[in-house]
Amino acid sequence: MSKQVTLTINGKQVTAPEGLTVADAAKLAGVDIPVFCHHPKLEPVGMCRMCLVEIGRPVFDRATGQPVMENGQPKIQFMPKLETACTNRVSEGMVVLTQSEKANDGQRGTVEFLLTSHPLDCPICDKGGECPLQNLTMEHGSGKSRFNYDEKQHLEKMVPLGELIYLDRERCIQCARCIRFQDEVAGEAVLGFDERGRHTQIISISEPGFDSVFSGNTTDICPVGALTTVDFRFGARPWELKAEASICSQCPVGCNTTLNTRREAKAGGEIVVKRVMPRQNEEVNEIWLCDKGRFAYHYTEGKERLTKPMVRKDEKLARASWDNATKTAAENFVANKKDFVVLASGRLSNEDLFNLKSLADTAGGEAILYSDMDGGELTQLVGVGAGTNLGTMGKGDAILVIASDLYEEAPIWWLRVKQAADRGATVIVANPRATKLDRFATYTIRYSYGDELKTINDFEKKSKISDAFTKAKNAVIFYGNEGLGVTGTSVLSSACANLLKETGHTGSANNGLIGVWQRANDQGAFEIGFRPVADLEKALKNKAVYIVGADPVGDDPNLAKALKNVKFVAVQDIRETATTEIADVVFPAQAFTERDGTLISGERRVQRFYAAVPAVGDSKPDYAITAMLAKQMGVILQGTSASVVFDILANSVEALNELTYDALAQVKEQWPLVGRNDVYYGGTTYDNTKGLGVQLIPLAQAGGAVKISKVRKEAALRPKDKELLAVPSNKLYDLGVTVQTAEFLEQRIGETSVAMHPTTAKKFEAAEGQVVKLSFDGVQAEAVVKFDETIGTGVVRIPRSMGIAIREPVVAKVQVKAAAGKAK
Amino acid sequence: MSLEKKYAKEVKQILAKYPPEHKRSAVMPLLYLAQREEGYVNKESMKDIAKILDITETEVASIVGFYSLYHDEKAGKYRMQVCTDLPCALRGADEFLDKLCGNLGIKVGETTEDGLVTVEAVMCLAACDRAPMFQTQGPDGIKYHEYMTLDRTMELIEALKGGKE
Ligand code: SF4
Ligand code: SF4
Ligand code: FES
Ligand code: FES
Repeated sequence: MSKQVTLTINGKQVTAPEGLTVADAAKLAGVDIPVFCHHPKLEPVGMCRMCLVEIGRPVFDRATGQPVMENGQPKIQFMPKLETACTNRVSEGMVVLTQSEKANDGQRGTVEFLLTSHPLDCPICDKGGECPLQNLTMEHGSGKSRFNYDEKQHLEKMVPLGELIYLDRERCIQCARCIRFQDEVAGEAVLGFDERGRHTQIISISEPGFDSVFSGNTTDICPVGALTTVDFRFGARPWELKAEASICSQCPVGCNTTLNTRREAKAGGEIVVKRVMPRQNEEVNEIWLCDKGRFAYHYTEGKERLTKPMVRKDEKLARASWDNATKTAAENFVANKKDFVVLASGRLSNEDLFNLKSLADTAGGEAILYSDMDGGELTQLVGVGAGTNLGTMGKGDAILVIASDLYEEAPIWWLRVKQAADRGATVIVANPRATKLDRFATYTIRYSYGDELKTINDFEKKSKISDAFTKAKNAVIFYGNEGLGVTGTSVLSSACANLLKETGHTGSANNGLIGVWQRANDQGAFEIGFRPVADLEKALKNKAVYIVGADPVGDDPNLAKALKNVKFVAVQDIRETATTEIADVVFPAQAFTERDGTLISGERRVQRFYAAVPAVGDSKPDYAITAMLAKQMGVILQGTSASVVFDILANSVEALNELTYDALAQVKEQWPLVGRNDVYYGGTTYDNTKGLGVQLIPLAQAGGAVKISKVRKEAALRPKDKELLAVPSNKLYDLGVTVQTAEFLEQRIGETSVAMHPTTAKKFEAAEGQVVKLSFDGVQAEAVVKFDETIGTGVVRIPRSMGIAIREPVVAKVQVKAAAGKAK
Repeated sequence: MSLEKKYAKEVKQILAKYPPEHKRSAVMPLLYLAQREEGYVNKESMKDIAKILDITETEVASIVGFYSLYHDEKAGKYRMQVCTDLPCALRGADEFLDKLCGNLGIKVGETTEDGLVTVEAVMCLAACDRAPMFQTQGPDGIKYHEYMTLDRTMELIEALKGGKE
């Protein structure tokens, strides 16, 4: 711990770590100094003058270096003028007065100046009710202004900085929190000030506007209603909102969120989610969220939601009772006992997956994870140690990212890795193409698709890079599935696990392997015993399949074909999908916003989420549906509540043995203090009162013997003339079930495009923007060509979940469509 | 043509003056370079500069916006930049500006019909004690005009018509 200094604030003696600003030290001591531009996560700039206080320091005798005494007390010298609490650091013996007459006068003056040109349209402002300026005006403002209101300048009130964030120019107080967040924290300086003085205004001229996946965070820390989201603006008044804790369901980072809800007429008198806000968890997402997590929750709403169980009758799906639907499914599964398969995805909670796995096990069926990525067995062995906090990694530590574009796949991990780089960590980025992390990397390794294993094996040879990794105090590897499917990731994960083991980077905090999974709870699925299979078509053929939380028919024509030739299909989901359409029985499930449960993040943190809105129609939680179905099949499972299922799960899954549902809800005080009444300090992010979660202990840390199977090299694919190696890649905003339904994200999702090196494109006589036909492995598709000079030749990169079914690298035929035009 | 191609030699010379890890500081001379031909920095040039210096276009635009010597819009032959900041305002700069525009039949930010003068309002030019004041930017460089009256300003404009300042 850093050195502590003792100082006096408003007559009270307090201690604070050396180097802290006076504003932060006061906050720590329970004294609120008003601030606008200061934010505990940003560098101090002292540009708003709201935090003016009186600061006195002990006088030292120049000759002796001893403090000068006066009446037996050290003599304190005050500066003749007020000072900013946000730029001055605490020092021994300092005396701070935050509420003296002089200080109050300064603070009042600053508010008065700010208001000379603020519209004060609080009654129609989204921030009204949780606005620092409003609060500080009430606390420190004078009742009357001495300025002429008629001369207030009026400016544009609806300036789209991009399609997601709107700026109200009149309300901006030029604190630069938004600009500094984008520059310092996000590393994407896409906001700036234009002009000077009274004409100063925020601009963004990137394409698309405000080009950052972290943009929503600026609306939380903007101390006025100048920045608002397209989703929430004019949506509700903050004081009408209820808050419930949740976990983001979009990616394996597991960001802690708060769902703000209210009952509204527009939704037919129902209680609905109005916005998703960050909830502080300094070890996971700090106080940030990515825009996907903030905006893509709308998939839980809408008329595509399934509300009633359905059973196929005379070729058509017809409404049925729960009893009838579960009975029908049970009869078919029992009749095809030997062919029973459960196919489930990491969109489900641990409780759901546990009941599904128990059912499969007891009924003699197979449990398959719907995923293109393997390696979860290894993250259980050598996953990051309990106590891991990327926020504490820095100088002397190393982070290797391989086959993953973290910015697109797990944005908050990207942010945290970037910040570790800022703190001096050695960041090694190994990818077959350029990614946004390269800019912050210490070393960038560019390999050809297919050379993942070789890239890891090269760490055994001596080089600057391997040295940096081996000798690092702590080291973490993130591996993903860029260009890889189940088999490729299985090979890659073993290689990574071996490397960590050999270099001694397992079994302790900030060391180990992290899978950049496709879905929020893939890690949980692995813990519970689900495994992906390399040949899913084969695994489904002629079976009786229970599909939960997955849309194989919509995703892949080959799987659609495979599912035509099955004995029976029951589908359980929250929305209508192409898969529910072909089902024999459909079970409507509750969305994560409507029920309780737990998820396990990629860092193996078990976290709880809570029901925030009432369930739609007759839908039930997945674990409960499975329990009902199981009962009809003669298997007894618990389905009464998530906590009951969790207790049984914790008892039977070894890694979770020590856990209780209550332990997951425990909290401790975190720094900085945010989310309390003084929204001016940390912003509108929520304080964590519902649980920080618990990180699991990997086998390597528990002292178990870690055996990693030998890595087998696969035979490389060899495209012929007129053919290319088609590789899958991931995109943040895609057409997946969990994004597609947010209309305002359409522009960010964009059209389906595939990337090629210009030389490759030239060989096929394809110009940039031209449409090409791709065919491989039963898939026919068209897409626009984009150039990427950073990928190898002979390769076409295809985004997953954008309408072209690609699960693993394949050889593809490519043909140019005659005329240039738009893709279908 | 991109700035880097068009002025390859100059760009290289400019970059050579800054250590590579601080190359973003070269934004100032590069902006002058970009502005040389048309008297303002167009969007394309801002993009080019951002790329050369590995910063964002918004950062470049923000610098153009901050300084009254960089421009992002085409103007007349002369820019007449009237300071309207507080000390000047106390000495009647606002009124001066109003009347000047009235006389020329244009609004602030506009250019006279003959394309000679564009009138702009700017922040402090560090001649507060000699207000009302403005600076002209034109083919012959930057000049300060202090203790100005409307009459003297109109005389100046006449002289500018004749090509003399
Ligand atoms: S938009 Fe908000 S955060 Fe940005 S400078 Fe203005 S007041 Fe500050
Ligand atoms: S980083 Fe992942 S978990 Fe966090 S908000 Fe974004 S999508 Fe959700
Ligand atoms: S100057 Fe201290 S908070 Fe802005
Ligand atoms: S205020 Fe006009 S020159 Fe300073």
